[in-house]
Amino acid sequence: MGLDYQLVLWNKQKKRYDLVLFLFIVIYLLGFAVVTFTTNANTSLETLIIRAFGSLAILMLHIILMIGPLTRIDKRFMPLLYNRRHFGVLMFLMAAVHGVFSIIQFHTLGNVNPIVSIFTSNLDYNSLTNFPFQVLGFLALIILFLMAATSHDFWLANLSAKTWKALHMAVYLAYTLVILHIFLGAFQQETSPLLLGLVGLGATIIVALHIFAGFKEVKVDQAKVSEEDGWHYVCSVEDIKENRAKMTTCAGERVAIFKYEGKLSAVHNVCRHQGGPLGEGKIVDGCITCPWHGYQYLPGNGQSPPPFTEKVETYNLKLVGNKVYIDPKAHAPGTPVDPIKI
Amino acid sequence: MLKSTLIILIVIFGVYVLIGFLFGLYFIFKGAKQIDPLIAESKFSVRLLLFPGTIATWPFLITKIFKK
Ligand code: HEM
Ligand code: FES
Repeated sequence: MGLDYQLVLWNKQKKRYDLVLFLFIVIYLLGFAVVTFTTNANTSLETLIIRAFGSLAILMLHIILMIGPLTRIDKRFMPLLYNRRHFGVLMFLMAAVHGVFSIIQFHTLGNVNPIVSIFTSNLDYNSLTNFPFQVLGFLALIILFLMAATSHDFWLANLSAKTWKALHMAVYLAYTLVILHIFLGAFQQETSPLLLGLVGLGATIIVALHIFAGFKEVKVDQAKVSEEDGWHYVCSVEDIKENRAKMTTCAGERVAIFKYEGKLSAVHNVCRHQGGPLGEGKIVDGCITCPWHGYQYLPGNGQSPPPFTEKVETYNLKLVGNKVYIDPKAHAPGTPVDPIKI
Repeated sequence: MLKSTLIILIVIFGVYVLIGFLFGLYFIFKGAKQIDPLIAESKFSVRLLLFPGTIATWPFLITKIFKK
């Protein structure tokens, strides 16, 4: 949490996450090879590699895009989020193997520069059925590279959170390009109908999940707040689970109200690291622990425990009977606020 | 016409990557420390990991170094 930069901030969950990811990739590739050679024994090795890595990349991209909305819909998906960054970088590497082998296979035989060849060997940009679909794959791969290359915390800190976030939203553009790459490619290649069916289904699920999760968020934001002398009513004490939070919106900002050790404290919901939702995390060892990468904050003052220096805004609470009220005015990040006793 | 436009765009892209590559060498040895002191205390392998990112984002990093 911000003393020096590590290659990776390893911990036990991340190691397990990466091991599972690695096994998944190996099993997928081996399985793909076995199925291909038993159904079509004279497939060339290059074609096998291109197809195995291409389909693996699109499968991984689907999983990555589903993780976000799934965790918002149900907290049990949270472990998937934990090392999504490595998932993303590995997905890029798989796509890159597919892209590089395609370029070797189709664009290095002539005397034209391979990149020029991708763009100009087929100039039917007005056609639907003969569109140069590899161009779309190439552009998607560039975007995926941009994201993988800037995924380290150094970039988050130095590109500014806003730029970084905007950059990483480009994954949806990349996804659209890849979908077009596959479907327009299918006119010219013998793409298996199974793959097309699955990708179509996958895209539908992704759109549906995003819409569903979006509605859920809007509900939190528009939940009506009844006012009383400037205090906003949030919920009753029983609505908050021990060591967990209830989220609410004050003056347009999301706030998380935690219950722990018979006390209540409120902090701004947004983690200083990458904007993870603190209110979806837990209290671990007395600290609010961000569900995304485990940054910690003391509930009484919004500060990361020393030697770390991150701070989030805090809020005043009051309890009337068993009803929890919040003062929507935020204190400066790191301001101590006495927790209220239940 | 279409073909020459495409080739011009690809050449611009190539030049961008080439400058990024050269700037990246400077950046991992010197520039990174200038914009983020934490880098000086981190292992060298971290800087190598930054190299691809500098190729992609060099115009941004150059302006950042000049502003300092
Ligand atoms: C430089 C970039 C790329 C090039 C040159 C390229 C080229 C190709 C080619 C030639 C095919 C047809 C292969 C065949 O059916 O034999 C193909 C199919 C495919 N590509 Fe790409 N591609 C690129 C990037 C990507 C990316 C970034 C993804 C996904 C993340 C992707 C996913 C796929 C998939 C799923 C197929 C269908 C595979 C199949 O036919 O079984 N491609 N691509
Ligand atoms: S967003 Fe990374 S720890 Fe909170």
